[in-house]
Amino acid sequence: MRWLGRLFEAGVYVTGITVSLVVLVMFYYVAREARYAFGDTFAWGFRLALLPADSSDDMSPGSAPYTTLVTVNAEGSDGLDEHEEIVPAPSVSSVEGEMMLTTAATLVSDITDIRADRLYRDEWRALKTTQQGDQFLVLGYATPRYQQKTMVLAWEPDSGFDPTLSPYRLVLRLVRAPHGVDVQPFDIDLKRQPSGRITLPAWVARTDAERSNGYVFEIQATPHRSAFWATLRGIFSTEWAPTLMYPRYGVLPLLIATTLMSVLAMLFATPLAVATALYLSEIAQPRLREWLKPALELIASVPSVVLGYFGLMFVAPSLQNWLGQALGMESGRNLLTTSVMLAVLAIPIVASVTEDVLKTVPESLRESAMALGLTRGEMLWKVLLPAARSGIMAAVLIGAARVYGETMIVWILSGGTASMPSLSSLQDVSRVLVGSTRGVPDTIAIEMGNVAFESVHYGHLFLLGVFLFAATVLVNLTALYIGRKQVWRV
Amino acid sequence: MVETAFPLANEQVVVSAHDLSVFYGETQALKSVTLPIARNRVTALIGPSGCGKSSFLRSLNRLNDRIPGFRLQGRVRILDIDPYGSRVDMIELRRRVGMVFQKPTPLPMSIYDNVAIGARSHYGLRGRRLDEVVEQALRQAALWDEVKDILRRPALQLSGGQQQRLCIARMLAVDPEVILMDEPCSALDPVSTFRIEELMVELAKERTVIVVTHNMQQAARVSHYTAFFMYGELIEYGASKEFFLSPKMQATEDYISGRFG
Ligand SMILES: Nc1ncnc2c1ncn2[C@@H]1O[C@H](COP(=O)(O)OP(=O)(O)OP(=O)(O)O)[C@@H](O)[C@H]1O
Ligand SMILES: [Mg+2]
Repeated sequence: MRWLGRLFEAGVYVTGITVSLVVLVMFYYVAREARYAFGDTFAWGFRLALLPADSSDDMSPGSAPYTTLVTVNAEGSDGLDEHEEIVPAPSVSSVEGEMMLTTAATLVSDITDIRADRLYRDEWRALKTTQQGDQFLVLGYATPRYQQKTMVLAWEPDSGFDPTLSPYRLVLRLVRAPHGVDVQPFDIDLKRQPSGRITLPAWVARTDAERSNGYVFEIQATPHRSAFWATLRGIFSTEWAPTLMYPRYGVLPLLIATTLMSVLAMLFATPLAVATALYLSEIAQPRLREWLKPALELIASVPSVVLGYFGLMFVAPSLQNWLGQALGMESGRNLLTTSVMLAVLAIPIVASVTEDVLKTVPESLRESAMALGLTRGEMLWKVLLPAARSGIMAAVLIGAARVYGETMIVWILSGGTASMPSLSSLQDVSRVLVGSTRGVPDTIAIEMGNVAFESVHYGHLFLLGVFLFAATVLVNLTALYIGRKQVWRV
Repeated sequence: MVETAFPLANEQVVVSAHDLSVFYGETQALKSVTLPIARNRVTALIGPSGCGKSSFLRSLNRLNDRIPGFRLQGRVRILDIDPYGSRVDMIELRRRVGMVFQKPTPLPMSIYDNVAIGARSHYGLRGRRLDEVVEQALRQAALWDEVKDILRRPALQLSGGQQQRLCIARMLAVDPEVILMDEPCSALDPVSTFRIEELMVELAKERTVIVVTHNMQQAARVSHYTAFFMYGELIEYGASKEFFLSPKMQATEDYISGRFG
């Protein structure tokens, strides 16, 4: 029989070590995959335009009918407008020789035929994803109709692009002035000066062939610091928009939303759960308790997708009916509804653990309170709750950790809009409460399915996983620590 | 078997048990105990472990109610209250009948609040009046000098003996008429024990004290009357002097001379 005991012991060893290792390896895998977030693929983009000297206007289309820019791209069609996609782009070598008409303006066949009422001004946008760095040549000239002595080169970041977040040195410089034009060379740091304008002497291309003699500007991107810090700055920014042309991976709105809905849920859940536990452990008849406690634990094990569905079908519409007008609720799917259902998820867990905690409060304490002639309310409020305080706090934190990582309920009920909650005024707070939102776990779940393998986005989702893991572990450890302080000396 | 000639001729009976039996499920802890107790006297309950002393005490203020399977037969009267009657006010009962347990059970609050909680709850005292009651109770329990500067500290920081005196002060602050003490000195050093014994004698001037003890000397020193229990039965009951000098029953003699239990 002894060998059986040995075998059992060996089995316990092997299983324990294997399971612990697997858990560790899983976390290691998640953390390792997060490295793709720090990939050096960054998109960047600027808009350039030549504007009439007297235009105080911005760079919106149609604002500068008399000037144009022609791109010359070493790589091909990158950076050309949609109009231009049908037209093969010229190569660098062709700048000085024959070249095709490539701007929107030149959809008109002859440069002399260009008329103000047609779209012939071009807004030039460089949108690039770059790893090693990149450069563009941009050709600028005015059409014969242009009468003024000077023209203006204007630039600004493409909408949605924040130069300060990119890990590149971005420079705009004058490569070549047209023959016979005297102009001061410039070399502008686009991160310091993301938008601006420079006045240049006007240069008019009188014929088709002459265009190629115009101004040549260059936009250049060179990696100048590690993508790591830029990514980190991006992570702690306030926008999560991974599918934009210039993706934003700011986790703050998600983290804050998750934290907010968890805190709110626990605010709802704690008093109810503690009251339930007090009732079960101190007031209910033993016979009733025998029924209620398992029932409570059964509810705690209801799959959260069921709770989410219930919330969607019943809680969301009734909250909408009930508070929709008062709070300006546009939809029943919002932060408040989510928190309510998260509270429903948490209550049985917290109540059940709290009830166990109350059981550990020695009977002698209750007897002392009773012998003193305290009322039951006094006994519960002044004796039992303080005695079980740290245990109850631990119970609440255990519930909070569960709620923090909850995916389905949030996915179903949050509404799914990732936006930075603003809590600066009471009005803002109520708007956040009834507003559509989105948390960390549901974002992972939603986006995991359609993200390119090992892309930057993919890495960020794993990074979110790491954050979530860290947060729940932290909460659980705190619970453990507080719970351990629950030693009742008598 | 039971000594029925109760020696309470000139006493006023304040607590009385008549034909009292207590059961915990199948176990019978007390068997038809009939025991009157004199007002403003110290009555000691002695007997071997498990003989039902605590059960008797706890039947008087209904502290047994929460124990699963607890059942009681017979009649109890305490301060003209029938604790098991249908219209009993438990709060009132426990205000008038205080109790000290074997193990100190400080409540999870400050020293001050431990003493104040009862007076606050029963008499609605506050501010200066409450301070006075707390101080007086602590002085009576011989604890004031040790804690007067640390009243706001958690009571759990006190030593075991100090905690026990705190529990006595807590009981005194409610100003009970009958005091039940279940081996109050078993966790105390000789000095504290002596103080508590003094206190019992002092208290018995205007209160009734019922004390369970395993210490024969203590019973002989402080009590006016002594009751000896064995196997749930009351074996002998009498004035302490005679009880210890010339016990009537063989079992009593065996027990107090240490030959038994
Ligand atoms: N909570 C309980 N549940 C079941 N039986 C109990 C309970 N408390 C006491 N008893 C039983 O009742 C009997 C009397 O117990 P009791 O505590 O009254 O004895 P005691 O005289 O106070 O003993 P000790 O001197 O050890 O304190 C014992 O046989 C004990 O086993
Ligand atoms: Mg006892």
